[in-house]
Amino acid sequence: MIEFCKVTKVFGAGDTAVPAIQDLSFECGEGAFWAIMGPSGSGKSTVLHMIAGLTPPTSGSVLVEGADVARMTSAQAAVLRRRRIGYILQSFNLMPFLTAAENVGMPLVLDGVKQSEVDRRVGEALELVNMSHRAAHHPSHLSGGEQQRVAIARALVIRPAIVLADEPTGNLDRAGGRAIMDLIQDVNEETRVTVLLVTHDPVFAAYAHRVLRLVDGRFQQDIDLPEDDLSVAP
Amino acid sequence: MRQGSGIRFALLGLVSKNPAGVHGYALKRQCERALGSFWQLNFGEVYRVLDRLANEGLIEQIVEESESSRKVYRITANGRRSLDDFVLSPPTDAPRPLRQELAVKLLFAAPGRLTDLLTLVDHQRAAYMRQLSLLGVQRRKLQRAPVDGFVTGLLIDGAELSVRAELAWLDDVTQKLKERFDAVP
Repeated sequence: MIEFCKVTKVFGAGDTAVPAIQDLSFECGEGAFWAIMGPSGSGKSTVLHMIAGLTPPTSGSVLVEGADVARMTSAQAAVLRRRRIGYILQSFNLMPFLTAAENVGMPLVLDGVKQSEVDRRVGEALELVNMSHRAAHHPSHLSGGEQQRVAIARALVIRPAIVLADEPTGNLDRAGGRAIMDLIQDVNEETRVTVLLVTHDPVFAAYAHRVLRLVDGRFQQDIDLPEDDLSVAP
Repeated sequence: MRQGSGIRFALLGLVSKNPAGVHGYALKRQCERALGSFWQLNFGEVYRVLDRLANEGLIEQIVEESESSRKVYRITANGRRSLDDFVLSPPTDAPRPLRQELAVKLLFAAPGRLTDLLTLVDHQRAAYMRQLSLLGVQRRKLQRAPVDGFVTGLLIDGAELSVRAELAWLDDVTQKLKERFDAVP
């Protein structure tokens, strides 16, 4: 699904060169749910940017579903993001002049999907995140948690293979963050979409099946977590 | 709080919630439901604590009409007072031993052992991350269970907060160990 082969990323050049990622290799399969933790500036977001083709590696290859993102043109990378990758950010990034439903439908509209299909899939996505009742509201009339739900619906409406979540709980309080993480976990379990979560909050990282600690551009620690078995009664 | 006094007051509190009387088996089950897997109880322990509470006059045995073979308990006025005192007194939880153990190890480690020390810290961090993961599972089970999980929810909140603090401390330890030992020639 996602494969890094000896990936290095250096920002700047010469005396001001800053290595962000150093010789990083890993393979992340379908349905995986990983959390990447690490101090600020450790390169966490850079890993996600490279998967999405937003930042090319300095050397090495980044494969997404077998295709090398580093060798794609910017147009090809844009198609990859629009069709295969759902991106969830700390700052929601909803368009203020569009309703929740119009925001969610935007990636499909950009991709030329016909309106009836857009409406149907937007309806499904909003239902999945429990936001159907807010479909006609503008972002300014939604709470932070609700805006993030809409942003998650927008990420899921394309039926992505991969969800990249960069500090999705960063602007929410604890309870709101937990609700968003519960949702992301449900989506991973139900749709088997691969989830890569960047967070500095260990409570939210503990939702994942595997936690990788990135320090100075390298994975310093790899922690396997027990799978959530909810079949046993409390 | 020490586990001993915790169980004592947990059982006393549960007896008080059963004004018609309750037997030991039901108490054990109610206790486990209320406190999740924080305390593992065995019957011997439950009955020992109940006997002690009865000897101290905090609970009393009543005769159950239908099945007289089982001991049925209910709370006394003294028991209620004791329970009130306990609820209002500040908690006396001792610090967790893991931190102390690591501190002792760090105290006696030479600078040349930096890698070993970091491994020790990593090991500890992994243990705490697993604990957080299990707490998350417990919380989600609780949300789906048809019981009032208010108190268990609060206990999970508390446990999560202390594990977060431990993890933050381990990050600090890692950072400071590197600074200290990297500076040593």
